[in-house]
Amino acid sequence: MAQTVQATAVAPTTETQPDVELRQVLKTFGAEVAVRQLDLRVQPGEFFSILGPSGCGKTTILRMIAGFESPTAGEVLIQGANVSRVPAHRRPVNTVFQSYALFDHMTVRDNIAFGLKIRRMGSAQVRDRVAEALRLVRMEPMANRYPAQLSGGQQQRVALARALVNHPAVMLLDEPLGALDQKLRKQMQVELANLHRQLGITFIMVTHDQEEALSLSSRIAVMNNGQIEQVGTPSDIYDRPHTPFVADFIGDTNLFPGRVDRVYPAQVQVTTESGLRVLAPAMTPAASPLQNIVVSVRPEKINLSLSAPGSEGNCYQGQVSHLMYLGTHLHCVVRLSSGEALTVRQPNRAEGALAVDTPVYVHWAAADCLVLDAA
Amino acid sequence: MREWGDEGMGGWGEIRILTAFAFLTLPTFLTLPTFLTLPTFLTLPMAPISSPKIPWAERLAPRRWLGPVVMLGPAGVWLLLLLVLPTLLILEISLVPGLRLGQPSGGYGLGNYLQILQPVYLRVIGRSLSFAVGSTLLCLVLGFPVAYWLALMSPQRWRNLLLVGFILPLWTSSLLRAYAWTAILRPSGVLNTIFTAVGLPAQAWLNTPTAVFIGLTYSFLPYMVLILYASLEKLDTRLLEAAADLGATPFQGFWKITIPQVLPGIAAGSLLVFISTLGDFVVPTLLGGASSMNISRLIYNQFLGPTRAWGFGSALSMLLILAVSLSIALLLRYGDKSTVTEPS
Amino acid sequence: MAGLAAANCRQNLAGPPAGGGGGDGSLHIYTWANYTDDGLAAAFTERTGIPVVIDIFDSNEVMLTRLQAGGGDAYSIIYPSDYMVSEMIDLGLLTELDKERLSGLENLKAKWRNPAYDPDNAHSVPFCWGTTGLLYNREAVPGTPTDWDFLWKNQAALSRRITMLDDMRETLGATLKSLGYSYNSNNPAEIEAAYKRLLELRPDIAAFKTTGFENELLGGDLSVSMAYSSDAIALTLEDNRMEYIIPASGASLWTDTLAIPATAPNPDAAYQWINFLLEPEVASAAVKRLLFATANQAAFDRLPAEIQGNEDLYPSEAILAKSEGIVAVDTASTDLFDQFWTKVTSA
Repeated sequence: MAQTVQATAVAPTTETQPDVELRQVLKTFGAEVAVRQLDLRVQPGEFFSILGPSGCGKTTILRMIAGFESPTAGEVLIQGANVSRVPAHRRPVNTVFQSYALFDHMTVRDNIAFGLKIRRMGSAQVRDRVAEALRLVRMEPMANRYPAQLSGGQQQRVALARALVNHPAVMLLDEPLGALDQKLRKQMQVELANLHRQLGITFIMVTHDQEEALSLSSRIAVMNNGQIEQVGTPSDIYDRPHTPFVADFIGDTNLFPGRVDRVYPAQVQVTTESGLRVLAPAMTPAASPLQNIVVSVRPEKINLSLSAPGSEGNCYQGQVSHLMYLGTHLHCVVRLSSGEALTVRQPNRAEGALAVDTPVYVHWAAADCLVLDAA
Repeated sequence: MREWGDEGMGGWGEIRILTAFAFLTLPTFLTLPTFLTLPTFLTLPMAPISSPKIPWAERLAPRRWLGPVVMLGPAGVWLLLLLVLPTLLILEISLVPGLRLGQPSGGYGLGNYLQILQPVYLRVIGRSLSFAVGSTLLCLVLGFPVAYWLALMSPQRWRNLLLVGFILPLWTSSLLRAYAWTAILRPSGVLNTIFTAVGLPAQAWLNTPTAVFIGLTYSFLPYMVLILYASLEKLDTRLLEAAADLGATPFQGFWKITIPQVLPGIAAGSLLVFISTLGDFVVPTLLGGASSMNISRLIYNQFLGPTRAWGFGSALSMLLILAVSLSIALLLRYGDKSTVTEPS
Repeated sequence: MAGLAAANCRQNLAGPPAGGGGGDGSLHIYTWANYTDDGLAAAFTERTGIPVVIDIFDSNEVMLTRLQAGGGDAYSIIYPSDYMVSEMIDLGLLTELDKERLSGLENLKAKWRNPAYDPDNAHSVPFCWGTTGLLYNREAVPGTPTDWDFLWKNQAALSRRITMLDDMRETLGATLKSLGYSYNSNNPAEIEAAYKRLLELRPDIAAFKTTGFENELLGGDLSVSMAYSSDAIALTLEDNRMEYIIPASGASLWTDTLAIPATAPNPDAAYQWINFLLEPEVASAAVKRLLFATANQAAFDRLPAEIQGNEDLYPSEAILAKSEGIVAVDTASTDLFDQFWTKVTSA
């Protein structure tokens, strides 16, 4: 329930009617609960991502919005109308499927025109709208090809055009870039962002790729196990995760579960089970001693040096146990003398004195830590 | 002047006629797959050889053709002996007008083919076509819902059992099945007992074309269901979701997506049933009585009936072979779209 | 049964039976259904030590085609009917019998010592004979049939409750006879008249069948079937509603014979089989079981009175006088028969 409060609190405007709203939605498949008592509001014009590991229920949510599944309990509203029992073909949304689901017996043009013809639009208007959609996705030269004659990226564009040509109130995108290779994916992310800006309609995208979600979305809902863990802007999610799951799922992090044993005005000291003492920023409301919390610190916030640093804050001795060269960065795992393994991300600078088993110091400011509720 | 089949037992003429005859009497299930594999056989070894980038010396290297020849050789010999040669023999016999076994006959000519143009034979051909087209349509109309239900709606765990149950009749003799229908359709048979019991008027369907349609549809429905099932099972139901997403009602989705998607299956099933029913002998003979002379019964009568007009029978056979070959050509052209559209 | 037999034929025609006839020392017989039974074959094997293998045909034409299409060396004994004997002699398909090796020919009835279809029984030995008439279900016909024209007169009442033989010469011949012409007419006008008359009846004929009408006749689904006496009598004995008549204007008289194909394997065994069947005791025992009309006078004399007096089996001389055997017609007439028969059956 706490998450729900967060979600509405972060919504950009309070008075506009949400384009899509889920109220207390429950979805079960037999004994299996896919989505539990979920509330969600997506505002007009948002690029809203639902992010989570596979099996977390995110695709089920999208399918309930599209109308391919109906909620076991609760309501789905689109532009204020309860559509829980409205079949897919009468909902003002269009979907871009993960597999594209292009009609392989039709040309690109006929695929795109399908929705318009179903709505019995005049042929001249169909022609104009299809031409416009083809132009938007830059597929004009391919109009007369069949899907089997297109590359994956081209098929993706056709799938987009086929959905957006209908000018839906909401575009639903189910892992739209999941089948593309890394380079094409980056390129399509830019195109998706451009399309969203040009069309100004609400996009709801389901993805398991955090980078994609962070780079494209105006807001992100992080899901786990059928529930929303946190809803917020990309920086909310990344810089201020509310739960250990979100902190861990969005980017790498080092988590120190422990107990508060000292409370200072601006800081608290936490002791982990292995006895490591970590300084973290004070919490609101103020932490009480002996409270169980989790301290999180991002790998890129940790500094690494060969000699003892003079700075305040957290500083520990350890040994490099793994070293991975990532081009722009070095990815190290440092084993502390207390036993914890820390992931550290260092800019790739020329020093290059690091090697496995090198004794090092790791240190970071208390302010760089985040304090999370213990799950 | 030449005499057919009268050159003493064991002569070349004898062997030719025996071979032709053996082919004519081979059951459909044996010849049909042979027909179907022929084009494959013809095209397979061509593929590597006709590739334009390979120099001639390379193309003729034994390692290029030895494998295909060894693998396809036995089937090739089989086809040559049981399909190509007999067909040529039938063609030759068909070109001898008025040929009767054991009797002297004249030279070659088209008389046998011209004889087919007589109204009475054209009616027989028309009747055969109507039997074939009618029972194909019936099979399609009756078989599609069954295949659809089996492939998309039946409980997954029972699906194979249901499918086997449906095609089980195929494992009994077609003759026995047709014979069983005479017991059902005769005026005092099972059907009329039921009709009378529920207050429907009794029907005298046995020995009418109606009985032939019923028998043919029953006999070949499992083939249709099997082929449609295979096609519908491959149907990507996400396409139906996509259609619904784009505003198509289930009805529109069915006609605009499901049907076009399984069209190759519909074409394959229909052509197979059409080919089989066009040449079926047992059902029209047992159920159709005097009112259902079709082309295969007519051919049978030319070879085994009192007239023994082998030349005319061979001409009719060539016509049937031509019709079947055309159907198979259509089957190969439209039966599977993946062979038609080349990837980019 | 027709279909079953037909399929059987197809199977047989597709290739010679395993063992290919003579090679294995057994006697391969190609015959009509109901002319032999296990008892007969067993008795022969016991006597001679030669195993018997029996194949069945249901029309002379099927048998002929089978022999012409390479089955000539598959059978030692065949059972062609009279007109087929003539035809096969012309085609050189029959062995000229060596009378020295036959015994018991003197047992034959006088009428069959020198038949028209095979003078002097040079190529065949008469085995049995019979007529072709009308078999009907007494409860399913209006009145009592006496002649062929019963079918035409009651055409409406009998509509699609009639079967005719799937036999060109018999069925067109019966129609010729109903018009007062001969079975063996060579007159094109008569043949055409018969064709037209048969065409009139055609819409009310359920099927052209040589066998396979029995169940439907018993069940009342058919009223009347043109049938060979041998098949008809079996049914009349089985069910007393069944009646067989030899039409008053005359019927066809047929003889089924024993013959040896020109290229028969194991001719010794074939001669032994013929001699075996010519024995009065063997023949009369077979007739008692299988109920056909024997051409063997000595065997006839040994039959019980009720069989001898069965007019269906052994019709009176008065009726026999009006009947005729089917013999080969000239080529032009054969062509006409062929053409009209195909048209009637294809219409």
